[in-house]
Order: sequence, then C-alpha cells, then structure tokens
Amino acid sequence: MRRVAVWFGASGGSKHEEKTMKLGALVLLAAVFVGGAAHADRLDDIKKAGVLRVAAFDSNPPFGYVDEKSRQIVGLDVDYAKAFADKLGVKLELRPTNPANRVPLLTSGNVDLVLANFTITDERAKQVDFSVPYFSSGQQFLAKKGVLSSPDQLNSLRIGADKGTVNEIVLRRDFPGATIVSYDDTPFAFTALRNGNVQAITQDGPKLVGLLANVPDKENYEIPAFTISNDYIGVGIPKGETALVEFVNETLTELEASGKAQEIYDVWFGPNSKTPLPRLFKIGDAKTN
Amino acid sequence: MNFDVVWNNLPYLLWGAWPQGPLGGAALTIVLSLFSGIASAVIGLVLGVWLFMARGIVHTVLLLFLSFFRSIPVLMLIFWTYFLLPVALGFSVPELATVVCALAFIGGAYLAHGVAAGLRSVGGGQWEAGISLGLGRWRVLRLIILPQSLRRMAPSFVNQWVALIKDTSLAYVIGVPELSFVATQVNNRAMVYPAEIFLFVAAVYFVICGALDLVAGAVAGKEREHTRGDKAAKTAS
Repeated sequence: MRRVAVWFGASGGSKHEEKTMKLGALVLLAAVFVGGAAHADRLDDIKKAGVLRVAAFDSNPPFGYVDEKSRQIVGLDVDYAKAFADKLGVKLELRPTNPANRVPLLTSGNVDLVLANFTITDERAKQVDFSVPYFSSGQQFLAKKGVLSSPDQLNSLRIGADKGTVNEIVLRRDFPGATIVSYDDTPFAFTALRNGNVQAITQDGPKLVGLLANVPDKENYEIPAFTISNDYIGVGIPKGETALVEFVNETLTELEASGKAQEIYDVWFGPNSKTPLPRLFKIGDAKTN
Repeated sequence: MNFDVVWNNLPYLLWGAWPQGPLGGAALTIVLSLFSGIASAVIGLVLGVWLFMARGIVHTVLLLFLSFFRSIPVLMLIFWTYFLLPVALGFSVPELATVVCALAFIGGAYLAHGVAAGLRSVGGGQWEAGISLGLGRWRVLRLIILPQSLRRMAPSFVNQWVALIKDTSLAYVIGVPELSFVATQVNNRAMVYPAEIFLFVAAVYFVICGALDLVAGAVAGKEREHTRGDKAAKTAS
C-alpha cells in the first residue's frame, strides 16, 4: 500500500503536465483526509450516518446465508448484527464476505464490523480488534462414511480447507503429513469432497453440521467425533476503535443477561432447529485454552 | 438434470434481492456492463486520439499510463482500488464505482491503442488532401479521418465490450452481487446442482453478449447504407 502512494506521489512531483499536477493535488487532498480520518471515532460516525455496515457470510448456514424466499442474508451472525444495529437505533447494511476478505474489509474501512464466524487469533489481533467471544466451536472434519475415525489418520489424507481460515493454519501446523488443498469457501470444499478430489474437509464443527443439514444425501457422510482445536468466535472491529469495542462487548453481555443470546442460539441451533447442538459456551465464560 | 433449482431462484439470479435490497444478478451485470462499456469507449476514444496526435514527452507519458492499465490484471485493479486506496489515500470508493472504474480504465487502455491504430490506418494522402483544402490538423481529424477509421475500429470495440461483459464477473472479489456471484450463493445453498445453475449462467452471458453483437451488427449495417446513400453523414457512428 505504501508503494502505491509513492508511485502516485513521484509522478505528481516530477512532471509539469497539467494532468500530473492534478494528480499531485489529489494526493495532497488525500493526505488531508487521512489526517482528518485518524481522529474520527467510528462509533460516532456510525450514529451520524445512521447505518451500521456489517460483513457477514453469504454461504455458510446457519451463520450467514442467502434465504431462498426472502433473498436476504440471514443467520446467527446476522441476528447478532441486528441486535447491534437496533441498540444503536441505526439501519443495518449487510455486505457478503468470504473467509479471505474479512480482514481487508476491516482494515480498508469498508465495513464497521465483521460477524462472519470470525475466529479470534493473536495473528489477526495485530490487524483488527476483537470483541469478547460470542460463540465457541471445535475444529472438526467431514468425510465419506468409514474414511476417518481418529486424528492419527489425518497425516495420510488429502484434506480440503477454506483459504484464510484458522482451520487451514492449525492443520498445516499440527499435521504436516496431510496434503492440504485450499478452497474459497466450505461449499466449494464440500464439492471437492463429493467429487473425490479430497478425502475429508475441515471446518468448525457447527459449520459442518449446518452444511451437512442441507445436503440431500447426507446419510453418505459423517462428522467423526473428535476435535483438533477449540476456537472462539468474536466480532471483528477496526483496529483502535476503543469506543466501538466497548459498545460491542457491552451489548453482547446485555444480550446474554437478557436471554436474547440464548434465543438467537435456539433459532439456529436449538432442539427444534435444522441443526440441533447443545450450547456449551455462553458469552462471558472463561476460555478453556 | 433438474432445473427446478434455477426456476425456484430465478428472480434472485435475474435481479438479486431487489426491490427489498440492492439490485443484483443478471440485471446488475447489465448495468455494470453498460456503464463501464460507455466509459471505456469514451476513455479509449479520447486517449486514442490524444495518443495519435501527441508528440514528445506527452506521448511518452500517455504510453506509460496506457501500459500501466494494460499490464495489470482487472482483478488486481479492483482489489487495489477497493482495499488499498482507503488505506493509502484515506477515502473509500463504493463497490460499484470501483468495478466500473477498473473496467473502464482497463478497457479504455486497450481501446486507445485500437483507436490510434485505426487512425494510423487512414492513408497519408487523406491528410495532405485535407490540409491542402486549408483545414487545420484537428478539423482534418474530425471531418475526414475519424469517420473513416471509426468504421474500421467498430469490430475491436465490440470485441472489447464482449470481454468487458464477461469481466464484470470479477466484481465477486469485493462482494458485488452480479450474476456469477449470486449464482455461487445459490449453488452453495443448493449444494448438488452446480451443472444446472452454471449452465443457466453461461446461457445468460451468451444472451447478453449475443444481444450486443446483434445490436452492433444492426447499427453497422444501417451505417453502411447511410454513408452509401448520403456522403454528408460524416458525424454519425
């Protein structure tokens, strides 16, 4: 990014063409904007604009996906996003995202929050801020029945992972013998599994459960009952926006206290949902790893 | 083959979440193509004429500018504009404007060379004839050279526009819900009908590009009749 700025700057200074002069002026103008933007507070900006811009998944039921009837993005992450917008009294604007886009969307300032099954990691925390976790899940695998039963087998398998996810990193680190193929998103990886390009795919357990629930021939697949890591999911927030982080954390705590967090969970993972899963983690619980 | 999945999602594939949400699907692909097509033609024409007329340092700067846009992938330019411009310069460009600008500048850079080549293809005798009639360089260009060369450039314009229609699918990288993006969403939910969904998508692109070809052909045909019948129609096309 620095190189881009230098490139524009250099051509602006060296030539006397009117065009390049204008470019130089543009750079100058931009510098003013940067100076101005650095002091602004994002929470105030959101209130002023009356719009909360949130990036959510569009292909990962039940966290975020496009509903066939309403043609809108819905899901657990979206319900949390709505709760934030409602508390602020602003309109919610959703942007579809994919695993690899989440950090750039925040660092470039194109969205205010990322709620897209975003695992909290130290590496990511260097570039973006995270809220307290609002969901927890273990990294699991999905394979055709009878292929995979224990983690020792992983080192000899071809495994599909989502590009830019923690799952991919953990797998590379802990199972160097495995052949890892990276895909744009989970449904893509699943198609590869179906076609026999890979023997298993990896993702957070609840995401795999959500995926399998929508597969017509789900009886041919299974999610072996072991996890290789425990992930905590948080809200991604632009770096250094302390007021916004505070607001998000406060709201999450309130949602848990009022029972609204449980309500949201039950819609997507409750006993009567398509993907019933017991709720083992509540907002405010201590992390166990 | 089970095309129910296409039928059930037809409105979403054709115009996205509109009118409850933003325009998407095939309609957005057409809108993006129209705007970037027109903008690329204007950029290509202006820069092409300029490249042809300019001499010395201006010519060199212009060549560098054009080669910059010709040598970077559309995907990279979209990505840079959307994710890096805000960090480098402090202001963000909306998604749709990003895509239209990237396609317009890259398409325009390609067209500019085509336009310059088209202008060069008109023989030197035409220039001499115009100048000996007492016309200035720019008037010769406007009245004599451009009308002849524009006809020769027409196929390369259509080529570029067709390429551009297909390149709108690269808008997926910043989450613009054009046709292939919404098709991927539907495919990801339906899971087991990729062949049906993407056959439909291919058919829609074929129809859009085919329609452009037909319109361009009809316009060119009319133009030929027009010029044969009436030599004064030099400002058309």
